[in-house]
Amino acid sequence: MALPLSYNWRNLFVRKTTTLLTCLVIATVVGVFTWLVGFAGALNRSLSYANDAHKLIVLKQGATSETNSAILPEDYNKLSQVQDVAVNPKTGEPLRSPEMIVQVSLPRRRDNGTTFANVAVRGVTDAAFGVHRNVKLLGKGFSSGSMEVIVGEQAAKQFGGVQIGDTINLGYSGNRGYKVVGYFSANGGPMETEIWGPLTTLMNSYNRNMYSSVNVLLNDKADPDKVAKFVQGPSVDLNAQTEPAYWYDQSKNIRIYLGIVGGLVSIMCVAAIFAIANTMYATVAGRTREFAMLRTIGFSKNQILLSVVIEAVFLALLGGAMGCIACEAWLVLAGNTKDMFGATTFTTMAFEIKLTPYMVVGALLLVAGVAVLGALPPAVRASRVHVIDALREP
Amino acid sequence: MSAADIVATSVRKVYHKDRIEIPVLDGLSLKIDAGEFVVLMGPSGSGKSTLLHLIGGLDSPTSGSIRVGEYNLERMTERELTAWRSRHVGFIFQMYHLVPVLTAAQNVELPLLLFKMSSAERRERVATALKVVGLADRTDHRPNQLSGGQEQRVAIARAIVTDPDVILADEPTGDLDAKTSEEILALLNLLNSEFNKTILMVTHDPRAASHGQRVVHLEKGVLEREERNPARPAMAAS
Amino acid sequence: MTIAYVMMQNLRRNRTRTALTIIAFALPMAIFVAAISLVVALIEINAISARELRLGVHHKTTLVNPLPEGTRRKIEALDPGGKRLTAVCGMRWFGGKIPNESGTIQSLAADADTFPRVYSDAELTPAEIEAWNRDRAAAVVGAGVAETYGSKYSGWKPGGRVVLKSTVPPYLELEFHIVKVMQAKGQANVFYFRRDYLTESFKTAGIDSPDCNIFWVKCNDAASLAALQREIDQTFANSPNETKSEDENTFRAGFTQALGNLPGLMRAMAIVVVVIIALVAGNTMMMSFRERTRELAVFKAIGFQSWRIFFVVLTESLLLALLGALIGIVPTTLFLLSFPIRRMGYLPISALTVSPWAVVISVVIALIVGFAAGLWPAYQALRLKTVDALRRVG
Repeated sequence: MALPLSYNWRNLFVRKTTTLLTCLVIATVVGVFTWLVGFAGALNRSLSYANDAHKLIVLKQGATSETNSAILPEDYNKLSQVQDVAVNPKTGEPLRSPEMIVQVSLPRRRDNGTTFANVAVRGVTDAAFGVHRNVKLLGKGFSSGSMEVIVGEQAAKQFGGVQIGDTINLGYSGNRGYKVVGYFSANGGPMETEIWGPLTTLMNSYNRNMYSSVNVLLNDKADPDKVAKFVQGPSVDLNAQTEPAYWYDQSKNIRIYLGIVGGLVSIMCVAAIFAIANTMYATVAGRTREFAMLRTIGFSKNQILLSVVIEAVFLALLGGAMGCIACEAWLVLAGNTKDMFGATTFTTMAFEIKLTPYMVVGALLLVAGVAVLGALPPAVRASRVHVIDALREP
Repeated sequence: MSAADIVATSVRKVYHKDRIEIPVLDGLSLKIDAGEFVVLMGPSGSGKSTLLHLIGGLDSPTSGSIRVGEYNLERMTERELTAWRSRHVGFIFQMYHLVPVLTAAQNVELPLLLFKMSSAERRERVATALKVVGLADRTDHRPNQLSGGQEQRVAIARAIVTDPDVILADEPTGDLDAKTSEEILALLNLLNSEFNKTILMVTHDPRAASHGQRVVHLEKGVLEREERNPARPAMAAS
Repeated sequence: MTIAYVMMQNLRRNRTRTALTIIAFALPMAIFVAAISLVVALIEINAISARELRLGVHHKTTLVNPLPEGTRRKIEALDPGGKRLTAVCGMRWFGGKIPNESGTIQSLAADADTFPRVYSDAELTPAEIEAWNRDRAAAVVGAGVAETYGSKYSGWKPGGRVVLKSTVPPYLELEFHIVKVMQAKGQANVFYFRRDYLTESFKTAGIDSPDCNIFWVKCNDAASLAALQREIDQTFANSPNETKSEDENTFRAGFTQALGNLPGLMRAMAIVVVVIIALVAGNTMMMSFRERTRELAVFKAIGFQSWRIFFVVLTESLLLALLGALIGIVPTTLFLLSFPIRRMGYLPISALTVSPWAVVISVVIALIVGFAAGLWPAYQALRLKTVDALRRVG
């Protein structure tokens, strides 16, 4: 017969203050942990949707991102030499999308427009909707040659002045009004924080005769690395990267950031192990006699060990649940929107922190594991206690 | 070497538990001469520990008065009582209550920290006290390196190091075997006879009781009977 | 032996718990000192910037939209007598990087004549100003940049020659002569050179582009700064080059936000840490007190006054906190001193340097927490009923 669970439950209840304090430590750590994991997860999720290995991003040699790249029309023409480009099944046109990236400064909604974010404005042709396979129009698109734009879902959610019907000022001198006519989604990827408009009109507004980049979708047979090498070769002489490689570079600062966040979380978790171990040590030390009594009436060492571990897991799950609830409450109350620059794009990527069931379960499993780690040493010690000695102890 | 007499007059002590009055001492009077060795006996709940605590100034009576030497305890504040205890009372407990992280000598030295005294003088006093209890060779041991009897000896040394007038012992042999108990009781006897300390000892053990000059039996908070020990006639108070 | 000695010995009573508590205290403290260092460093930088009284004027649409060179004259014309502004320095983004290196250096071309006056925090000596004026290829570099690349390349010291390749069109590769390594904290990751050198190099490449991205207006006092901020934006309103003026701190805060607001995160972490250590220390002190109730009663029986016992408990808590704080703070401090974070580029974290202030604040916070944690048990010790405690003997 194992010790009844109510035994552990009551033990925790009897030491109300200690249990509560330890629970709060665990809850704080878990709350921070889930928030940070949610944050990291949101960033990674967003980046993972910019992961089309068959998409090549072609930039000028020397440019580090689409924002500081300039591709002349003759450069663009050279790209017709590239083989293995996918074709639009309807028109039979090769899926090469010349694009121009500019930015517009938009007020953040989460602080009522106190601060501004740089949002990318992408001038595109019809080809873009074939090349960027995860982009889906939600409703109406812009008509080519018009002064109309469509706005990424995330941008519309997080920034002011870019809702359907609004007019935003773009152009070299920022005095050309573009009307927002629709929204689009990009499966949660970074493009959802962009504004798209017709390429020719936008180039006109910015007095430009150059593109920023060309995005090329390769067919399924193609070897993207080989094609990229060809583009970099003497006949084309442009810089080409697959989309995953491009975003790997762009997310360098984000990765440093996540590294810092990860470091902080691990230190906190280790601290939590010690806090739990501390509580468990005290619980066990104060109960040597009780354990000895349990041994004399016939419970085995392992049953007592198990009992202590179960108690720690109880404690951890209780604290963990409190932490998850607090984190969710914080996200609801304080807002869950965040945005961050790419390394060299100078344009922001907005995302939403969401607690997924996986994260909650993961956090609870982790904290339970931490609790077991913290409780095992004192549990082992408790189970080893000599019955006679313990009963004699004051 | 001074000794103090103890006079308790009509002492009542009432505890409240769940609004019910529980009288522990019910108008008890007791007189102990200076330099006397008195043993308090009685069943559990008879109020003997309570009486000991009241005489030690750890608690105040609900009514009645207690005088120890020239001090009327019922007129003193808690603060005054504490200060008085540090100079005039030595406590000995059943469980010794030594500080586990301090050595024997340091445990004995503890009460002297309340005195304005040079460390040399303190060391001398500690050495003397340990010598009296026969532990001069165990000064640097920690409590867990000592036997129960030795621990109690350290506790006794701690009780006498301040040279108090009164020694209050609460079942000092309750946790010791017969032989060790005899040694401890002999030591208490020595303190009483050689150093002229007034001793009040609570015990359950009739054999321990036989060391006192007088045995006082308590029952339900009143003095039931008392008997003089013919083997140990009371000495004249100085 | 003294009372202090007895208190120290108390920590040895339950060595496992003391160790667990100290570690559970030290780990969050290690984070705390880093977090508070960053916060303190940013406060310092902000204070210096505020004292520098610089107003940044850029295009309203974004920083990337250029403003014509003539903007400087128009700004200067607002205060011909020089009563409110000292000088105006136009700057253009160069975004240079060392060929074959990945990191972009914050490199900016600045108006040669006004730079030393507008950037007095660069602390150019008269000799250095002369070198800057004499040599068109002169450059002034922040200590962080000089350190990062100095370990790998020669030339990153006064008198040295370095080559940077721009990451913006037309991707010029220019050689610079370093005349000064700036020690100012706020300028650790910047590289300034003369704008006439850039404009001329553009001309050589067949481009006539003397535009600027931002104009830094050095003001004489805070009132002038506020007034000029309004006047400048009014002057250019409804012109093709509408401006937005911000003081340097607001300008930098925009970047900080865009880079994920690490200082905000660190501030939040600092608060979380205080909560955690308070709970950990509080828990331990409660347990320690509960275990020792009887012993404290004996102390009272021996004749120790209540206030002494109050201080014994409180001091133990303070000692615990102090030990935990030192064990957490010292390694982090040594790490941050031996590994300057400023090498990590332009993330706001690069401002992180340990200051004596941060260490003092950390220790004080730890002591306050130790005090608070010990207060309740100490109060209970003060009120301890000696008789009740002794009775628990059983």
